[in-house]
Amino acid sequence: MSEDILLIVIKVAVLIVILLTVVAYTVYVERRIMARMQSRIGPNRVGPFGLLQPLADILKLIFKEDLTPAGADKVTYFLAPALAAITGLAAFAVIPFGNTIDLFGIKVNLFIADINVGLLYLFAMSSLAVYGIVLAGWSSNNKYSLLGGVRSSAQMISYELPLGLALVSVVLAAGSLSLGDIVKAQANLWFIVQQPLSFVIYFICAIAETNRAPFDLPEAETELIAGYHTEYSSLKWALFFLAEYMAVITVSATAVTIFFGGWQGPFLPGWLWFVIKLSGFIFFFTWMRATLPRLRFDQLMRLGWKVLLPLAALNLVVIAGLVAAMGG
Amino acid sequence: MSTEVKVVSPAPMTVATPLKDAAAVAARINEKFANAASVVDGSLMVDSSQLVAVATLLRDDPGIGADFLEDLTSIDWPDRFEVVYHLYNLTRQEGPLRMKVRADKADPRVPSTVPVWPGADLMEREVYDMMGITFAGHPNLKRILMWEGFQGHPLRKDWKEAYFEEEKKPFDQRWPEGALVRAENRTPFKDNIVLPSGFDPTKYTPPAEDNVPLVEYNQPLSGEMKSQTLIVNMGPQHPSTHGVFRMRVRLDGERIVDLQPVIGYMHRNHEKIGERNAWLMNMPYTDRLDYLCSMGNNFGYAIAVEKLMPDIKVPERAEYLRVIMAEFTRIVNHFFALGQLLSDMGAFFTPMLYAIEEREWMLDLFEMASGSRMMCNYARFGGVARDVPPEFMPLANKLVNDRLPRAIDRFDDYIATSEIVLARAQNVGILTKEQAIALSTVGPVLRASGVPYDVRRAEPYSIYDRFDFDIPIGTVGDVYDRYLVRIAEMRESVRILKQALRDIPAGEIFAGRKGWQVKIQKGEAYGRIENPKGATGFYVVSDGGTNPYRYHIHAPSFINIGALGTMAKGHTVADTVIILGSVDIVLGELDR
Amino acid sequence: MPDLSNLPYEQAIFYLVSALAVGCALAMILSKNAVHAALFMVANFGLVAVLYLLLRASFIATIQVIVYAGAIMVLFLFVIMMLNVQEADPRSSRGPQDRLFTLGSLAPLLGLGLLGALAYVALGVKQPAATSGGLVFANIQDVGALLFTRYLYPFEITSLLLLVAMIGAVVLAKRR
Repeated sequence: MSEDILLIVIKVAVLIVILLTVVAYTVYVERRIMARMQSRIGPNRVGPFGLLQPLADILKLIFKEDLTPAGADKVTYFLAPALAAITGLAAFAVIPFGNTIDLFGIKVNLFIADINVGLLYLFAMSSLAVYGIVLAGWSSNNKYSLLGGVRSSAQMISYELPLGLALVSVVLAAGSLSLGDIVKAQANLWFIVQQPLSFVIYFICAIAETNRAPFDLPEAETELIAGYHTEYSSLKWALFFLAEYMAVITVSATAVTIFFGGWQGPFLPGWLWFVIKLSGFIFFFTWMRATLPRLRFDQLMRLGWKVLLPLAALNLVVIAGLVAAMGG
Repeated sequence: MSTEVKVVSPAPMTVATPLKDAAAVAARINEKFANAASVVDGSLMVDSSQLVAVATLLRDDPGIGADFLEDLTSIDWPDRFEVVYHLYNLTRQEGPLRMKVRADKADPRVPSTVPVWPGADLMEREVYDMMGITFAGHPNLKRILMWEGFQGHPLRKDWKEAYFEEEKKPFDQRWPEGALVRAENRTPFKDNIVLPSGFDPTKYTPPAEDNVPLVEYNQPLSGEMKSQTLIVNMGPQHPSTHGVFRMRVRLDGERIVDLQPVIGYMHRNHEKIGERNAWLMNMPYTDRLDYLCSMGNNFGYAIAVEKLMPDIKVPERAEYLRVIMAEFTRIVNHFFALGQLLSDMGAFFTPMLYAIEEREWMLDLFEMASGSRMMCNYARFGGVARDVPPEFMPLANKLVNDRLPRAIDRFDDYIATSEIVLARAQNVGILTKEQAIALSTVGPVLRASGVPYDVRRAEPYSIYDRFDFDIPIGTVGDVYDRYLVRIAEMRESVRILKQALRDIPAGEIFAGRKGWQVKIQKGEAYGRIENPKGATGFYVVSDGGTNPYRYHIHAPSFINIGALGTMAKGHTVADTVIILGSVDIVLGELDR
Repeated sequence: MPDLSNLPYEQAIFYLVSALAVGCALAMILSKNAVHAALFMVANFGLVAVLYLLLRASFIATIQVIVYAGAIMVLFLFVIMMLNVQEADPRSSRGPQDRLFTLGSLAPLLGLGLLGALAYVALGVKQPAATSGGLVFANIQDVGALLFTRYLYPFEITSLLLLVAMIGAVVLAKRR
């Protein structure tokens, strides 16, 4: 019993360290790729190929002055970045990123918890992630922050619905809410082949959920300066940064798990397949950020409510019918 | 890539223009209003008591049709003030009619022409601010470039700029007792500035309208619905105002009810400095106006002053070099403007960097020719500063014939097919043809609204009558049309450049005697060129001395900003940003 | 999923979480700042979700977080922020012009009544054994089956009610 708990604690600690590193290097990779796309070089001064750049950035952020605006609601202002980062990290707990491996004679499952409502847990965490942004916007006592916070809450609520519906159609086909079961259900055929429309809807909504281009309205630099985190500096700002990239990694990992067969793949070990698939998604996110302009807020809302939501509902009905017809 | 821009080629004007004939116009006015107008030194002198009636006649009489007030400025003569209007007709493509109104020294007061030409709004405010002439009937006569508490009117001859224009050169003031005192310890509240009597800067709070609470409750907007309006100050520190520029936006939800540009943060009294400098010394100062188009500014200033030097004939090669530089400047500016517009739409710098990549090549050319990439200081009265080096022509030919056409096509292809760009830019910030003319807009903004008016065609300066090119105009007048017009103008510039690089002769590049000082005859001249941002005019008045008596710049950014409120009404904050981007302003010439 | 059925100190966790939940509820009522009140309510929902987890009802727990904390309270916050509700001043609502003043004096009575009813119900119910794993809401299939068989009519009527409320809200908003 206590060994179990010890194992979980170790796994959590290791995972958090890995995730923080991955986030730092996601930023680095994004900067390098985007620089290439924009005919620039990108960070290449710190360490070989600029590989120590994330470290330098983190050090810089730590030593920056930590400002609190005079009219800010102090407690909430302090709480908001923590909430954002915690929900971002906690969401990863249910994602299976590899098969069981043997480590020093102990069978270690490469996930923190495979709970039977794993998918719902992901939803819960992503819906809680709104709080960090909303509270940051409200507590900064800044009009730009407030507008950014209001925008993001409206945006995230709107896009959670079609996102949920798209995932429910996968759940219907897999017959389980557990992410482990969903991965195993794709042993023969990935769900991307089976339900391409669900994937498209999921992915569009996921971009909106993570506030990335072309749906990065809450932090639209040209209109709202930096949106909800305009007033933040130093480590608090770094936590928002962490939360944003954590969200990107989480939605990518979810997409890999649910639509691309998770860690399954021939020849290579499971966790490597997972990393490869995940990298593909992160590259895609970067690519879009370097390419696409931003939608206007009303256009974004119209897309969510008038296009994606009906489409997702229709998709769900069709798939439910098919599942019922095949006696699933 | 097919664009939806119409390309038209209005015929260059050949007939003598009634608008230029001040005597004929004066006779026509005096038919209606006895003794309202006369002709003094070739300008139409209008009696200020009948100004509004005469202005209405000038605008509405089909025989005159001065529908476009290009420029409004003022001169401080020893015994009187003069307000100077430059009027054009855009349909017949003719002008200018120079109209003047006198005001007495003691209480300078002139009726406002905003009801006739709405575009006079900002220009009259500027004259009020800088020269202290009151425009009776102006809807919003406030200071525009100087701050509200400022005392005096900086362009008046009796106003001395602190330190620089004081009677004795007060070195003892700048370094009292030989000790350096830093400027920040002195300005703005110490003795380097004249404060109004009874004004205590430590107790100063901005006027109520700038000091609004976050939300003003229950301001009835429409009849039935009571709703709150929110005032957002965009700027002066804001990433997408392209500099220190402020927009006071009144929002109902996300919709804009009212937008007022607030400018003057970068004001450095350029025109006063110009009056203090010798004629030639102003050339590098014009670089700093629209710092993206310094070649164009040099060109315009040279043209204006050369009008007062009748014995100077600019050599052929110099004219070609000026045109080549001006057209490269247009491509530079439009690339930059479009990249910036895309950045404003939220494309993460990629189009901007692609645009800058092309711009660098042309800046290389400028560096070869003038020695500087941005602050070129290239034109001289009677030619250009120096000839281009031998490696200039191969690179220019390579760019014009090979690289630039491809780059423009690629840029256009990238944007014109992007659905997000179309959704953002189409039918946003519409300025109709009538509004564009009434608000005195110039350049791509005017042409995107469907007015085929280009100074290069309407009033060909330099050697532009030799080149074969078209004038692209828009059909709707929205942000997308402004984008298309700029792309098409770049293509036309490439066309002109191909002809110019083919035809450029060898020979002299400078006429007259080189020297530190030039002899300018007494008189006045309004020289203007079609800069990338629009018609840029230089109004110079000479009293025969070593300095300009009056040196005024008609800046396209300043004029076009007056149309911002009209364009933005009813749109969202996000749209404001791209509307501003589509107007394409540079703060250097906006605030001067 | 690791077996948590023998989780030590389960009682202790239960009491701790319950106390915190009650504390959050009290703080919500007593907080003057509307946003803080909403935040305490979110915390309360989260702690209640933990109580559900202790009952092995992970489905209900996640749904509690998604629906109450993730959706409803976000909308609450949204409205509070949009209207920019100022700190409540208890004196400002007391005046002769306040028509609800007389009704308001009934509130303590009603509250006491409610408390009494709750106490009666709580005392009347037999406490279920703490470790009984056979509760019907343990997993999704059971919940679904119950909803669509035994509780079908209440379920459908509730959804109809919500639909009516939604349409009503849309109609009211449109009329303005």
